[in-house]
Amino acid sequence: MTWLVWRLHRTQLYIAAALLAALTILLLVTGLQMASQYHSALAACGASHSCATLASTLFLGSHAVGFLVIMTLGVPALFGLFWGAPLVASELETGTSQFAWMQSVTRKRWLAVTAGEMLLAAAAWGGAVSALVTWWSGPDNALQLDQFKPGRFDIMGIVPVGYALFAMALGLCAGALLRRSVPALAVTLAGFIVVRAVVTIWLRPHYLSAITVTYKLFSPFTPTGSYWQLAQGIRNPAGQLVPAANGLAIDGIPVGSLPAACAAAADGVRPTASCRQALGAFHGFITYQPANRYWAFQGIEFGIFAALAALLIAVTAVVVLRRDV
Amino acid sequence: MGGQVISFRVDGRSVAPPYLQIVQQVKQALRMGVLDVGDKLPTVREVVAATAINPNTVLKAYRDLERDGLVEARAGHGTFVRHRPPGPPPGTHSRLGRSLARWVAEARAAGLDDESMESLLRVALRAETEEEIA
Amino acid sequence: MIEVQAVPEAAAAIRTSGLGKRYRRVCALSDCTITVPEGRISALIGPNGAGKTTLLRLLAGLTRPTNGELTVNGGIPRQEPAFLASIGFLAQEIPLYRRLSAEDHIGAGAHLNPRWDGESVRERLTALTIPLDRAVGTLSGGQRSQVALALTLAKRPRLLLLDEPVAALDPLARRNFLAILADAVAAGGLTVVLSSHLVADAERVCDHIIMLAASRVQLCGDIEELLAEHQLLVGPRKDTSAIERDHRVVQVTRTPRQVTMFVRRCGPVIDPAFQASDVSLEEVVLAYMGQDAPPARAQLNSIGDNQ
Repeated sequence: MTWLVWRLHRTQLYIAAALLAALTILLLVTGLQMASQYHSALAACGASHSCATLASTLFLGSHAVGFLVIMTLGVPALFGLFWGAPLVASELETGTSQFAWMQSVTRKRWLAVTAGEMLLAAAAWGGAVSALVTWWSGPDNALQLDQFKPGRFDIMGIVPVGYALFAMALGLCAGALLRRSVPALAVTLAGFIVVRAVVTIWLRPHYLSAITVTYKLFSPFTPTGSYWQLAQGIRNPAGQLVPAANGLAIDGIPVGSLPAACAAAADGVRPTASCRQALGAFHGFITYQPANRYWAFQGIEFGIFAALAALLIAVTAVVVLRRDV
Repeated sequence: MGGQVISFRVDGRSVAPPYLQIVQQVKQALRMGVLDVGDKLPTVREVVAATAINPNTVLKAYRDLERDGLVEARAGHGTFVRHRPPGPPPGTHSRLGRSLARWVAEARAAGLDDESMESLLRVALRAETEEEIA
Repeated sequence: MIEVQAVPEAAAAIRTSGLGKRYRRVCALSDCTITVPEGRISALIGPNGAGKTTLLRLLAGLTRPTNGELTVNGGIPRQEPAFLASIGFLAQEIPLYRRLSAEDHIGAGAHLNPRWDGESVRERLTALTIPLDRAVGTLSGGQRSQVALALTLAKRPRLLLLDEPVAALDPLARRNFLAILADAVAAGGLTVVLSSHLVADAERVCDHIIMLAASRVQLCGDIEELLAEHQLLVGPRKDTSAIERDHRVVQVTRTPRQVTMFVRRCGPVIDPAFQASDVSLEEVVLAYMGQDAPPARAQLNSIGDNQ
């Protein structure tokens, strides 16, 4: 049965391998360049003691490759789209799933081997791409400390493997339910986008309770490392949120929200002592997920998508095996 | 198929059932001299492959011929002709066939169609049978 | 009551009893009791919707019955490799991979089946001059049927179930297909059930018949015996109750002067007024298909009385 799956899909697997090889070469070459660029910049800033501003002055890599890496957001879905949805759908639609059955293979075994091999391939593909991108982003992560942020979080670590499994399982399930390749493709794509968006925007911030730290305005608090900022702002003594400052502001408070004591300071005069005292009643806050929770979050999100994949595979099994085909 | 001396033709529309057609064709071949004592009949599989009829039909025909003593089945080797059916010497058929052809030509020239000729033949056969009974 | 020939327990390839299949509100097959002895080539005849495909799928284990029992090759059909290897099922939609060649399919078969005779496929297809290395999708319908049949035979099944295998084939392709089928049976160890519309094919290559109409079995038995048992009786219009009592009347037509009866004899018909003639398989099939419902004596009588 493995032989048959391989023989049927070897063209697609070759294409996938070729794409992966191309990506590997591209990322290897540019990644090594970026790494050496980073290390020499580190050496230079170390000598001139200007490393603190390195993050804003050094730009690593090129736009095109950075764009490509962002595109790997969608790469897990590709596998499910092109190899998952059509796989089961076209076999059921054209009746070729009967061939294996005609050759003494039970439907259970047909599904198990077909789905199993495809999921394995999806996971391998997702894992390979993720490993490449994670390595490639090493210098950038060290510099920008933004790997926890949405958009970066999704393309590194183990979550891409979870997405790939989910996309493949969704493709197989849509194929089994709809039995036609094109609708199955559409449903898989739409479903993948919707679920990813919902999880990223509404679920991920709450995997673990966020930490909120309030601080006095004159001693702002910044979490260490690659934390993920969820919210930040300033509250006035009454607890109301002060609108964001653009333009003239003192300690981040816009002119319109200044206390009375600082009215004069609004015109550019140095703040008086009473103004300073009034400002002391304001406080800033930051709600964030600390950097040390990065891997916990990766694990939780991976678990969510793996569980969804398992559920979808179960549904697929019920549909394919129970159906009086 | 190498070595086949006779090939069968089974007409699905004939009144005679397939197995009878095979029996008749074997007997006819024996009478005409196409098949001789000691010749091997086509195997069941050969007949079936050529005519697309049921193998049991062929088996039945061969069993009938065996019962009549015309052929014998030798296990592992096939079915072979054992005796000729009782009847006139080989030349008789061709001789009579020729005189029949002459009669048919004469009848047609006189204006008889196939059906009239057939009914004449049937009448003659029946008359002969009745004579024999009488 | 349908009479089924008594077959010794060991020798039946198929044996069903009261088999029925219902899909939601539609009854596809009901009260199906048949026996097919080993080594037969059985014709499954019936109009569309009579339940032929349903019966074949039940026999293949593709669906499960809603009532009744069945044994195939001595066991109950189930989704397990041993059973699947012992049957061959050829659906009307030939399940071959269009982009793969016949040779690829042979390779697949070798990996998938416990018993596999790939060489026989090559021999059969070469004898029919069907190319082994071209994509199957480029072959004609008749050639694809032959490839599928050869692949099915290569796994050496004990029972072969064919659903309208020759319906879409030209006469030559049909003849070749049936010849290969008959040859495979002649080689021994194979029983075949093939469903068909064409009685002519059935008469030529089949020696057993199962007739379905209105989702029920009308006839089941060896063709030769059934033909011997059925006769057409033609005679002057008169009281036919004696014949109706002693034999089973399948169809009756009455004109003011004449009565024609299609009967299934139980013993000889001794009535000099009637002229008896033999019937062909096609006439038997038509006579049974002409019935709208399971035969009932009262119903048949009323047909004639209305005229």
